[in-house]
Amino acid sequence: MTAGALARSVVSGGAVARPLASAVVGIAVALGTAALLVLFSGRNPLVAYLALLGGAVGTPDRIAVALNKATPYLLTGAGVALCFRARIVNIGAEGQIALGGLAATWLALRLPHAPALVLPLLCALAGAAAGAAWGGLAALVRLKRRVHEVLVTLLLNFVGVLIVGEVLQGELGEPGAGFPQSPLLPSAAWLPKLVPGTDLHVGVLVAVAAVLVCQVVLWRTPFGFRLRVLGASEGAARYAGISFAHTTLLVMMLAGGLAGVAGAIEVLGVHYRLIEGFSHGFGFAAVSIALIGALSPLGVLPAALFFGFLESGALAMQRAVGVPTPLVSVIQGLTMIFVLAAMALSAARGRV
Amino acid sequence: MSLDTAVVELITAAVRIATPLFFAALGGILSERAGVFAVGLEGMMLAGAFGGVLASHLIGSSAAGLAASVAAGVLIALLVAVAAVRFGADQMVTGLAVNILAVGLTSFLLRGFAARGEAAIVRVPVLSAWPVPGLADLPVLGPVLFRQPPLTYAAAALGVLVAIFLARTRAGLTLRTVGENPAAAFAVGVDPVRVRVAAVLACGALAGIGGAVLSLQQVGTFTDAMTNGRGYIALAAIIVGRWLPGGTLLGCLLFGAADALQLRVQSLRLPVSSYVIQMMPYVVALVVLAGLGRSARLPAALGVPFRRE
Amino acid sequence: MLSMRGIVKSYGAVRANREIDLDVSAGAILGLLGENGSGKTTLMNVLYGLVRPDAGRATFKGRPLSLGSPRAAIEAGIGMIHQHFMLVPSMTVTENVMLGWAAAGSWLRAAAVAARVREASRVYGLELDPDAVVGDLPLGLQQRVEILKAVLRGADLLILDEPTSNLSPPEVGALLAVLRRLRDEGRSVIFISHKLGEVLDICDEVVVLRDGAVAGRRTVAGASRDDLARLMVGRDLTPPLARVAREPGDEVLVVADLHARDAAGVERLRGVSFSVRAGEIFAIAGVDGNGQAELAEVLGGMAVPTRGRVFVAGAELPAGVAARLDAGVAHVPADRASVGLVRDMTLADNVMLRDADRAPFCRRGWLDFAAAREAAQRGIEAFAIRAEGVETPVRALSGGNQQKVILARELGRRPRLLLAVQPTRGLDPGATRFVIDRVLALRDAGAAVLYISTELEEILAVADRVGVMYAGRLVGVVRPGGTDLTRVGLMMAGALEETPDAAALYGVKA
Repeated sequence: MTAGALARSVVSGGAVARPLASAVVGIAVALGTAALLVLFSGRNPLVAYLALLGGAVGTPDRIAVALNKATPYLLTGAGVALCFRARIVNIGAEGQIALGGLAATWLALRLPHAPALVLPLLCALAGAAAGAAWGGLAALVRLKRRVHEVLVTLLLNFVGVLIVGEVLQGELGEPGAGFPQSPLLPSAAWLPKLVPGTDLHVGVLVAVAAVLVCQVVLWRTPFGFRLRVLGASEGAARYAGISFAHTTLLVMMLAGGLAGVAGAIEVLGVHYRLIEGFSHGFGFAAVSIALIGALSPLGVLPAALFFGFLESGALAMQRAVGVPTPLVSVIQGLTMIFVLAAMALSAARGRV
Repeated sequence: MSLDTAVVELITAAVRIATPLFFAALGGILSERAGVFAVGLEGMMLAGAFGGVLASHLIGSSAAGLAASVAAGVLIALLVAVAAVRFGADQMVTGLAVNILAVGLTSFLLRGFAARGEAAIVRVPVLSAWPVPGLADLPVLGPVLFRQPPLTYAAAALGVLVAIFLARTRAGLTLRTVGENPAAAFAVGVDPVRVRVAAVLACGALAGIGGAVLSLQQVGTFTDAMTNGRGYIALAAIIVGRWLPGGTLLGCLLFGAADALQLRVQSLRLPVSSYVIQMMPYVVALVVLAGLGRSARLPAALGVPFRRE
Repeated sequence: MLSMRGIVKSYGAVRANREIDLDVSAGAILGLLGENGSGKTTLMNVLYGLVRPDAGRATFKGRPLSLGSPRAAIEAGIGMIHQHFMLVPSMTVTENVMLGWAAAGSWLRAAAVAARVREASRVYGLELDPDAVVGDLPLGLQQRVEILKAVLRGADLLILDEPTSNLSPPEVGALLAVLRRLRDEGRSVIFISHKLGEVLDICDEVVVLRDGAVAGRRTVAGASRDDLARLMVGRDLTPPLARVAREPGDEVLVVADLHARDAAGVERLRGVSFSVRAGEIFAIAGVDGNGQAELAEVLGGMAVPTRGRVFVAGAELPAGVAARLDAGVAHVPADRASVGLVRDMTLADNVMLRDADRAPFCRRGWLDFAAAREAAQRGIEAFAIRAEGVETPVRALSGGNQQKVILARELGRRPRLLLAVQPTRGLDPGATRFVIDRVLALRDAGAAVLYISTELEEILAVADRVGVMYAGRLVGVVRPGGTDLTRVGLMMAGALEETPDAAALYGVKA
């Protein structure tokens, strides 16, 4: 057994080539189609893409912004990817992030005099707990009442966000502010900067570490093995003594916890306060990223970075070339569709 | 404002807000009763809103706008039909993908006609109310039911049509069977894939009109992502209504009332916060969903792609 | 009414139908009797157009019948009631009847159809309420909805495939009454079954199939049970295979009064008790569907019985798969492709499929891939598995080699009890021989084996004792050497039930 084959098997246990190829093809076709759109609007796609790239990674400042944007995507994408492995579709990241941010804010405002190294950690843990609870709730409804998890997580998203809105009107709100938000958090709670002088905070390290942990869990622990068997064959899982209920609950709590941490990081590292609507759109983005990452935590790394760079470069692209920022959403949506189509096609061909 | 007029005004507002929801939800019912998750409603609505304004502006007639909104919704639905139904890709994820795509595409095209990538401000005349002679002057019922813009009347009519279609026509029975037990339909010579594709396209058409209600009947313009989650609210309304047109109408009115109420919390001096009011319909949906559990109402084959053995 | 001539159908090397001729007169009920694999289902699939025959013709009501499309059969007036109903549980009887029925109209004439349902219900004694929701009806009534559908579409010949498998005794009686009314009207029925009692009760004529050919035709008046049983199972047998002669040791598996229900809530095990001793193979024979699957699920730890207890090596076994693994119970399941293995995973992964959270594959919380690969490599060598390596996905392996992977895993845990369910299904003779040899070797080494199979010939060659299951009970235990096959056939067909004595049940020397 060669070292190369070993590494491959440890990393991905077999069929990695096909999903990666699907992702790459999907992105390429999406970029190409979007380029046509740019042409149609009378501009040069090459110049537009170059401006996009420049806006994303042109200067250290820009890279910092892109990495910050990618951080919550990394955390939520990894969690959703693990859920997908067990064939559970979890779109609840938005609600879990919202409540995670809420918990972190609450704790930070309660302990303004805690030491600066410990407070962010505690708040992140609080966020994880809140997110895990919200994810666990969705799992329980799904398990006990046999309801599809998509509907449950969708509804809980709305409820979670509204809970945050409600709390911001009350005890956690900042009266007199023009917008529902909490007071500025004590500086002890703020996430330290990774590179001083830029906006980049340490959250990205946490996110990358979490992704690697997820990868290890998926491929090197019995729990990860159970996830993969469950996703591959329900009959075999029963025969192997794997409990669907147990595994589902755990993975949803894990994903919820990761999302909760993402919410805490957004609050502690980017906004320094809880702002209504800060979690908007993350639920769906997480699903996209998990998919483009071929449902593998390691694959989520480039996918999340891709999304982060797209979004941070968009404004620069608009200013430089006049191509509107919504092109980014177009690219994201097209990528998802083409990756899906590519996966479906290769699955159909692979099925003998 | 006296309590009477306030309540009437509230109900009228609820009906107004519920109209686009109801169109989308009707489309969603057709899709989901045939077994395809209608997660893409948001994108279909948005496309319809955009198409409606675009055509109405370029051609100068609201009727053209309406036709364009249908076409736009169907186009988005076509993506879902091909990817999810024909090729068996995951329905949920496909729906989410088209929603993201629609947001981007509509906003992009809106700016396609301006100079430096700014949004074009396109204004079209708003469809005004068509009072029904005689009935419009009834107390309470008059303004609520009979002094509404045309698309609201159309919504009511379509609701009845869809209900009749599902319950009393052979095509409707076939559609329902495909959503409950596609193998049984296949055993009598029906092609479940074709039925589902048709249902999804019809869903796109109806959701497109729902979008037109927003842009042509209520606001008079198109703004970025103006549907603002209404497609997902329609999904929740379908759950509350247990996948039946009648119940879904009530669900839409419930969400409409909650929305109308939360805006008027101050003026009506209600003791409850607006957020709690907005939360209520979702909690109701969850309770209904949890209460259903094993009952027969949820289309049994919802979300399960059909593969020939 | 119906005449089939020279029907031939092969699936690869298996000749399911060999030059079969069949006649059914109008106003008659024909019983088609045979065990698993005799070809009766294939023959009916040919008749109903689900399967195209390799050769053969048929005439129906004096006109040639085109074989190969259900539409042709339906239009000619043939209706089939499958074992698994094609109904929509959430809809009413009327709606299910209207499904796909052009005569119901584009605007559903529900009232008119409901009236016809009521009328037919009265005429044939179906007791169906047109507005009842099908999912709420007991299985016996659901079956009658299927019959009603066929009758309303003008079926003159009805094919019923194992129709009583899901019915309780009173429901069976009611069904037979309905069939008699249909016959008295001039319609014909083909009644496929393996149950002698029912066939003799309701049918006018019987055709017995065995190994794909007609073994005999009788009128019910001129037939005896023994005669039919012998036709069903009679064959030249190979004598039992060579083995180490030994006295069976202590009881390893004791099953006491086991009752269990299937996924639909129907009781499938109705009080099964037996024991298996160390160093012996106890086989369970019987036609599929008499409770063997549920027995395997309970003993395998995947289902919980409603009553009864299971003991392994003297200790009562708690529920769950883990308890079985701890107790040294190995399980080779009936469905190797989607239960016994995960097709997309590698050989190594499959070898640790059930043991991923215990030694040697899990050390201090981490998966030990080296151990899995070693075990897989040992398995490849010990069981002569033809695969490219331990990292090949098992879907690339042939059926026989896939079964070897399962054997390598299950026998590799040196079990004290092996539960083997249909272990040679779908395997070529070479692979079949391999599996049987390994099972015998395990028995010779002192393990207890419970061997559940529908292949009677194989069972008689392999087993030390054979129990026959019928309708959820053990109706008899025999010893293979010199046993009267007719007895076995009668037991499998539900026509004979022997009072079990301790000697036979527990293998103790009398």
